[in-house]
Amino acid sequence: MSDRRAWLVRRLSVGVLQIAGVLALVFLLTEALPGDAAVALAGDHPDPERIARIRETMNLDEPAAERLAQWAAGLLTGDLGTSLVSGRPVTGYLTAGLGPTLVLAALTMALLVPVAVGLGVLAARREGGRTDRLISTATLAVYAVPEFALGVLLVVVFALQLGRLPPTAVGHGSDPLAEPAVLVLPVLVLLARPVCSISRLVRAGMIDALAAPYSAQARRYGVPAGRVRWAHALPNALAPAAQQLARTLDWLLGGVIVVETLFVIQGLGTILMDAVAARDIPVIQGLAVVFGTLTVLLNLGADLVARHFAPRTGAAA
Amino acid sequence: MNRETIPPAARIDRLRVEVAGRALVDGVSLTALPGRCTALIGPSGSGKSTTGLALLGEYPDGAAVSGTVRVTGGRAAYIPQSPAAALNPARRAGALLGDIARQRHGSGPRRRADRAAAVRQALRAAQLPDPELVLRRHPHQLSGGQQQRAVLAQALLSGAPVVVADEPTTGQDPDTKRRVTAELRTVLDRGIALVLLSHDLEVVRELADEVVALRDGRVAEAGPAGRVLPAVHSLWTAAPLAPSPVPAMAAPPPVTAASAAGGPTASGTAASAPAGPAGPAGPAGPGAEPDGDVVLEAAGLTAWHGGGKRRPGRAGTVTLREVALTVRPGECLALIGASGSGKTTLARCLAGLHRRWSGRLLLDGQPLPPSLRDRTRGQLAAVQYVFQDARASFDEYRPVREQVARTAVRLRGAAPDAALDEAGALLTTLGLDAATAARTPAGLSGGELQRAALARALLARPRVLLCDEITSGLDPANRQAIRTLLTGLTTGTATTPPTALVLITHDLPLAAGLAHRTAVVAHGRLALPHPTHP
Repeated sequence: MSDRRAWLVRRLSVGVLQIAGVLALVFLLTEALPGDAAVALAGDHPDPERIARIRETMNLDEPAAERLAQWAAGLLTGDLGTSLVSGRPVTGYLTAGLGPTLVLAALTMALLVPVAVGLGVLAARREGGRTDRLISTATLAVYAVPEFALGVLLVVVFALQLGRLPPTAVGHGSDPLAEPAVLVLPVLVLLARPVCSISRLVRAGMIDALAAPYSAQARRYGVPAGRVRWAHALPNALAPAAQQLARTLDWLLGGVIVVETLFVIQGLGTILMDAVAARDIPVIQGLAVVFGTLTVLLNLGADLVARHFAPRTGAAA
Repeated sequence: MNRETIPPAARIDRLRVEVAGRALVDGVSLTALPGRCTALIGPSGSGKSTTGLALLGEYPDGAAVSGTVRVTGGRAAYIPQSPAAALNPARRAGALLGDIARQRHGSGPRRRADRAAAVRQALRAAQLPDPELVLRRHPHQLSGGQQQRAVLAQALLSGAPVVVADEPTTGQDPDTKRRVTAELRTVLDRGIALVLLSHDLEVVRELADEVVALRDGRVAEAGPAGRVLPAVHSLWTAAPLAPSPVPAMAAPPPVTAASAAGGPTASGTAASAPAGPAGPAGPAGPGAEPDGDVVLEAAGLTAWHGGGKRRPGRAGTVTLREVALTVRPGECLALIGASGSGKTTLARCLAGLHRRWSGRLLLDGQPLPPSLRDRTRGQLAAVQYVFQDARASFDEYRPVREQVARTAVRLRGAAPDAALDEAGALLTTLGLDAATAARTPAGLSGGELQRAALARALLARPRVLLCDEITSGLDPANRQAIRTLLTGLTTGTATTPPTALVLITHDLPLAAGLAHRTAVVAHGRLALPHPTHP
């Protein structure tokens, strides 16, 4: 098993480098944007003198490299700095945004896995059969609809016409769990496309696995069809789905901006948008640390799962 | 005799399987008796597998079936040709065994101990003395032998009255063949009927009580092994029935006649006979001793897996030690040895496919880079490799002729159209007509694909051709075709110079018939090559 540990260590050290690269890149790109926090703060009174004053108090007149170095030094001690705009610590922003985003992501994942795997296995039962055609057509159609269009459609039908569900989270406080009805439409929108892509992957993997000699061998010995499907074929179909699932979770935890904006949920995506608009570099950098770490860890997790279900590929990785 | 009194475990009566108007199997009957072996023999495509699968109730898609197939006392079990394919790569080897035990011993938690005991007993009966080890491992962590025995354990555990074994010894080295034969013998000893599908006459002779010889889907001959086996010789164009050290092949008859005449008058007869250069080399000599300059030379070649790039280090496993060899144009060097002895690693080092080795490798006296990534186009073309599994070496979605032609385009810079023509012409001379070569690999048999793989390597006009077990898995007729082809390569033609051949093989008759020198690889060392013929 030392083989596996060496692999993990190698992957983790590469991951740290990847996060560092993301941070440097994000910093450079924000620097490259026209204007800075001082201009944004000066707002409606773009008086050059006032801007210069703000720059000085914020230390924005120091060279970019120096500011990045200071920020990185703080990061090593767990200090993400303070917002240029409000002066509040960046960690406060992150924890505030993480709550709603985590709730949405967790709910979506909890529904996504059983629904997508179930649909995929069901469609693969008989390739080209009526169920398969129905599921394949429906998933392709839903997948083609972008989040914002689906969101607007759902709001119009369920909130405005039928009046069954609240159209947005406005007025329900910052804790989305206090009023679960608020979450129904956002979770539906978040579910729509991932369910389609993952169920199609599971279906394709299941069709291959059910046609493979090992499934034929299980059937020959009288193993019931259901058990062949779930216990013998499905594990082979899960490796590609696990990779896609990790990408989906990464997307969800990054705060899906379209959904957060549409339903007015104060998640990480909204915070990121506001920070970019205000050129609030410490907040942007803080978010980059969170997103980068999540991406690296999730992909590592997915590779571990894939390695478990397709052990031979691990030898080559 | 009392053959009539034992109730058969399985019986096929006048089976006919027809797909799209073509009969794959027509009027085949056979009986499998408990504890007896019935062998189905015949060349590839003769209907062996279709008949064997019929015992399992499996037919090709859209097949029209008539006749009766009856198995008494349970379902038939199946040992496929490639046991690795029958084991689920994502599950431990014990997964299916557990499910089979559930079928037989009930699924409740109270029967767990019974099931576990039955699984262990079956694994021990299949000659896996440490069942725990096998149950816990994934198939890729088992050796080929362990995989085959795990599949055999499935059959034993299921309590099947009849076991169908599809080509169990094809492509195996002699030791493995002996082991597999012993395992199949344990099946018979347990009173289970065995239906053996094989074109390996050695194992058939060893095990079979009854033989059914098929040709083109019909029974050509059937009866007790002792009577049928001597008669089936004609089924294969040139298959030697008795194991002969040197098969009769390219040797021109007049030479044999001359040497047979012998005596004091022989010199005169021999002189007048059109013996050619092969004359004095003895019967079945593969041509004159090559005497050109060495084309490929390896010295002090040490190879390892894992560990460092320059040296094996502590983590590396050394698979070859200080190997030295040379080949000359027109010469055939055979490398023989048991599985795992390092034969393939050696060939892969020469081809630049295995990168972890140290030592010296010269092509025409010039150093050859260890990895093929560092070799020039000319160097790549000069050393070509033909793989054991031809099917795996082709892209399954593109026509074979196109893939064969790519060699000439990539390695010789030929124009695509000219390369296609050249590929088509070469394939035709190898017996693959234009219609066949235009198909994707799925439309070609194993033997046809192996010839296409050879054509692909030859289009590079190689100086050295490395052939890794290219005849294993082929029936005798296809083996003979490949053998003739390789002989032609070493002698060369008016337009092509003789090629040096490195032949890795278990097929001792092939090595004896073709090779000028044979080297034995054992435990990573090369025993000094010695001439096959004086």
